Amino acid sequence: MMNSTIQTNIARLQIMKAKVLAALRKGENYELKTELNSEYKERRKEAVRRVIANMTVGKDVSSLFTDVLKNMHTDDLEIKKLIYLYLINYAKTQPDLVILAINTFVKDAEDTNPLIRALAIRTMGCLHVQEVLDYLCDPLHKCLKDTNPYVRKTAVMCVAKVYDLSVDVAEDNGFVESVREALSDSNSMVVSNAVSALVEMNDMSRHHDVWRLEANTVGKLLTAINECIEWGQIAILETLVDYTPRDEKEAENICERLLPRLQHANGSVVLTTVRLLLKYEKHVHRADLLAQFSKKMVPPLITLLSSDPEIQYVALRNINIILQRHPKLLSKEIRVFFCRYNDPIYVKYEKLDVLVRICSERNTEPLLNELKEYAKEVDMDFVSRAVQAISRLAIRYETAAENAIKVLLELLETRANHIVQSCMVALQDILRRYPRRFDSLVDGLCEYVDDVNEPEARAALIWILGEYSESVSNISNILTSFLESFLEEEDSGVQLALINAAVKFFLKSPQQGQTLVLKALQTATEKCANPDVRDRAYIYWRLLSADPNAARAVALAEKPAIELENVDLSPQLLEELVNELGCVSSVLQKPARLFVYSLAEKAGVPRDSGISAMGLDDADSVAAGAGDAAGSSSAGIDASNEGEPELLISF
Amino acid sequence: MGFLSTISAAYSIATSENYDIDWEKQETRDAAKAHWDAVRTKANDALPLAALRLTAEQKTLLDELLKDSNGLFPENPTDHLLAELPKAIPPTSLNRIVGSVIDDCLKNHKHDDAQAAKTPVIQKHWCDDVSIRRASLVVVPAFTKYLRSFAAMHDTEPVWSAPLDTVCIHIQRKELVYLGIVSQEIPPLEVLELLEGVDQALTEYIGLLSEVTIKENFITVYQLLSEMVDSGCAVTTDTSVLRGLVPVPSLVNRVIENVSGIGMGTEKRPDVNTSSTPWRAQGIRHTNNEFFVDIVEKIDAIVNSNGSVVSYDVSGDIGCKSRLSGMPDLLLALNRPEVMDDVAFHPCVRINKWENEGVIGFVPPDGQFKLASFHVATDASPRTLPIYVHATTTRQELAHTIELSAEVGQCGGRPIEKVQVRVPLPSQAYNIRVQCKAGTYTVSNGRTSQVEWSMKTLKAGDRSSRLVIQYFVRQSAVTNAAAGNSSPQAVSSDQDMAQEAFVDFEVAGYSMSSIKVDSLKLMRESYKLFKGVRYITKAGSFQVRF
Repeated sequence: MMNSTIQTNIARLQIMKAKVLAALRKGENYELKTELNSEYKERRKEAVRRVIANMTVGKDVSSLFTDVLKNMHTDDLEIKKLIYLYLINYAKTQPDLVILAINTFVKDAEDTNPLIRALAIRTMGCLHVQEVLDYLCDPLHKCLKDTNPYVRKTAVMCVAKVYDLSVDVAEDNGFVESVREALSDSNSMVVSNAVSALVEMNDMSRHHDVWRLEANTVGKLLTAINECIEWGQIAILETLVDYTPRDEKEAENICERLLPRLQHANGSVVLTTVRLLLKYEKHVHRADLLAQFSKKMVPPLITLLSSDPEIQYVALRNINIILQRHPKLLSKEIRVFFCRYNDPIYVKYEKLDVLVRICSERNTEPLLNELKEYAKEVDMDFVSRAVQAISRLAIRYETAAENAIKVLLELLETRANHIVQSCMVALQDILRRYPRRFDSLVDGLCEYVDDVNEPEARAALIWILGEYSESVSNISNILTSFLESFLEEEDSGVQLALINAAVKFFLKSPQQGQTLVLKALQTATEKCANPDVRDRAYIYWRLLSADPNAARAVALAEKPAIELENVDLSPQLLEELVNELGCVSSVLQKPARLFVYSLAEKAGVPRDSGISAMGLDDADSVAAGAGDAAGSSSAGIDASNEGEPELLISF
Repeated sequence: MGFLSTISAAYSIATSENYDIDWEKQETRDAAKAHWDAVRTKANDALPLAALRLTAEQKTLLDELLKDSNGLFPENPTDHLLAELPKAIPPTSLNRIVGSVIDDCLKNHKHDDAQAAKTPVIQKHWCDDVSIRRASLVVVPAFTKYLRSFAAMHDTEPVWSAPLDTVCIHIQRKELVYLGIVSQEIPPLEVLELLEGVDQALTEYIGLLSEVTIKENFITVYQLLSEMVDSGCAVTTDTSVLRGLVPVPSLVNRVIENVSGIGMGTEKRPDVNTSSTPWRAQGIRHTNNEFFVDIVEKIDAIVNSNGSVVSYDVSGDIGCKSRLSGMPDLLLALNRPEVMDDVAFHPCVRINKWENEGVIGFVPPDGQFKLASFHVATDASPRTLPIYVHATTTRQELAHTIELSAEVGQCGGRPIEKVQVRVPLPSQAYNIRVQCKAGTYTVSNGRTSQVEWSMKTLKAGDRSSRLVIQYFVRQSAVTNAAAGNSSPQAVSSDQDMAQEAFVDFEVAGYSMSSIKVDSLKLMRESYKLFKGVRYITKAGSFQVRF
């Protein structure tokens, strides 16, 4: 009883609250309405500000449309801008009322102040309303021919907006032609805007035939670029990407004129220039020029690394691609890529990749010491990548192997759980790469039998024990203890490794190993649920019973040398990514046609669903995109470790 | 592409997992249904607003597909679904940057409340209606979710491929996150530089940026944003140009307006500058003609525990402050231009002149600006450090001690100012005690504690600057960390030790690279010019490992 009264009361209160709020809101609009019609200029101005303030926080002020419009005739530029902002916001919902504003727009487009002329023409384009189009044509014609370049450059952009609304209007009135002519404008900002507008229209048009970059225009653009501000330079540089030079001479000429761009403070100008140089370089054959390009490219790339972390990240992703084209480019600069403690983790990962990539035989030692420091950091993922990098260095450079092993053993001594796991896997790879070179250390590894608790690490240790069974003093006990928990093992990889180790041990020392191998094969064949494990055990069993020599040949065969996993992109993908250097695709390491819808359609490629799935999988979405490169490194190593490839080859 | 592509994507993954499965069995069907439900809730979860737009027909259609075991996963589920469902909205091409959002997520993150609502403070769009709605209803919520999925804001990758064929590119500056949503293949650096420019312009106009100050000045912010970007293309970020277009809100104006309700109006009608020097307006007049040059060099270094320098890098900026009348043309000559191996100039500098003659010729913008930034060639830098910070760490079971000492290195015999040594302590540290012989210290307790040691000046030969930090490490945390580690003696490992110190300092009147201004000549104008040059060496990212 009590409860229900309370509930009704609460309900009543809520209704009242809603009513009051509605009244308040209505009241506010009402109040604004009177203010907007006030006879005092300043009160009207304040009212307009409040209207815009309400609009931005999402309140509906559309009912004030006519009242706001009344204030449009004003000399106050700020009020004008605010009202234009209001119009842009509500034009779509009230296209009929927008017509009321047209007169002011047309008048403003002929104002003496170029700022107001430009503002009017820009806003009319932004309204995106068909009804406005007819009224826009005349002012736009005038503005395209305006004496003031600021107005001209705004008008040029407006043509692209008109084109978006109606291709016919833009074509029939000769607007597109005017933009093409604007490429020869005396003012460089107009030129760069014309380029942007043409590119936009080209993308929008069905046949992409609005404009093609011709050889004589290239010269003009390269002249204009020197006077442009950074954003204009980027626009021009980006259009040059699609241009193919006619001959070597032209390519050389373009490249030489591009070189000063490398000294720009804007990272995007720098990276786009690098992209162009890499693209045109194919057409250049003079060795001295090519050397000059490389030399000039290095310092700006290095400088990008001292910018903010976000820029560093993009730069690093691109450097990773550039290095696959020019592996030697940055080999002297290895120290720049050393990670800092306070780098964001995504920057650290990229740096680590680049470090391993550019490390040469000479500087393995400082890098190994550096990697040792990284392995002591807190982030576990970073630690395991650092340890992996150690093994990659050892596999790549024979001279580094000894040092790498030393570092890994030192790390093992910390006995920190996650370090031990990664180190064990790394050691397995190195031992596999240099068979019979580091026999002496194997015995020491048995200390860590109880510390390895990740399946991958355990499989690694078991593999090492099997391979070097003769160098381990109490091998039989260790394998037996592993075997006791055989069935509790969740990972079939460990089980397979254990069977292999038992067989190898038996083949090397039949006396000691006999009971062990029998027990292993018996457990595997009779009690194990995993068919792979069972099959493997059966095969070994039959092999051993049929012909021990054959078994020896199989199990103890000379293993093919482990190769450094291929972290490089395929040549075709690399080509594509170099062409798209500096773009989103190079950061995601995925060609644009796979995730830009319009390009996908053009290329007839089925939509790549993986990218959209990233929306679901927030956390590692970029990692997934990046996974192609970064992930493949671990995948590569896995493939060579798991399940004894030598056996697979033999059968 | 509508939200359905999101579902269909997960859907096709499901098929590849369940390839070759017998649909006659009830249990496989149940499993598939569970999987499908999971996929669907996941999708709904990711895009709540999008999910609401799923019409009843579409829902039944999807459910139909589920019920029918043979039709559950047709051969080409993606195509099948796409054919059945209304065609997606075509992407806009005109508008490369769909919108920019300024977000105050960092502030919320400070309270460690990962679920706190991070709502955009301001959004500005440069595109048509449909895209605006797509951006603000779907992409922005998805992006906030993306941000939340990271434990540390610091670690969010700046480029994220977002739903609806957009790419979200963001930067973090202090409390704010600036987000640009891009609907086309476009260099991310361009967006990053633009956002950086937005941050700089807003800071210059508003001062200290925060959610509150941005909301207070949103009219200025809007005006700026519409001048900086037109229909998705960056137009200008140069504040000297912007100042001509948007009036700087002056404090006096604001106070008067707020008190009396009467505005002064814009006293100077903004005008647009279209000369061949867009960074400098015509007819500037100053009573005193002054030009100041600041050469600020930063050392980035990592020093190892044994005192060896692991990485070392000096870069610098030439900042200028110009108060000159008319159209002055300046020639700045440096004593060792060859030392600067990568120079990036302000657009006003004539690059050809630099290339050919090694002097910087320019018509300066009015006010403060950065003339050039450079990197000191590795073979030309002295590889000495102005300050040495030594650390010794000792450990007795769970009690750790760090002893720090600081000493003046090579810096031309000048005192080092504003020395600050930051030592982040491991998260398990407690009972922190500090003894300090010189300067002051603070201990901050956040998620992880940090000791900050500051000294106003450090003079050469000063041997008493020492700091001792003692702390204990929580037992439980250690045993957790060493879980699975059966050996009992390993109660504490290197992981629990503080490992680094960050050093900040400033040396006035000293330049690492010994770059000096040789001469500064004024041409085209005849007045007398007052010149001033300062040299400062600072720590960039200066890190000492223990």
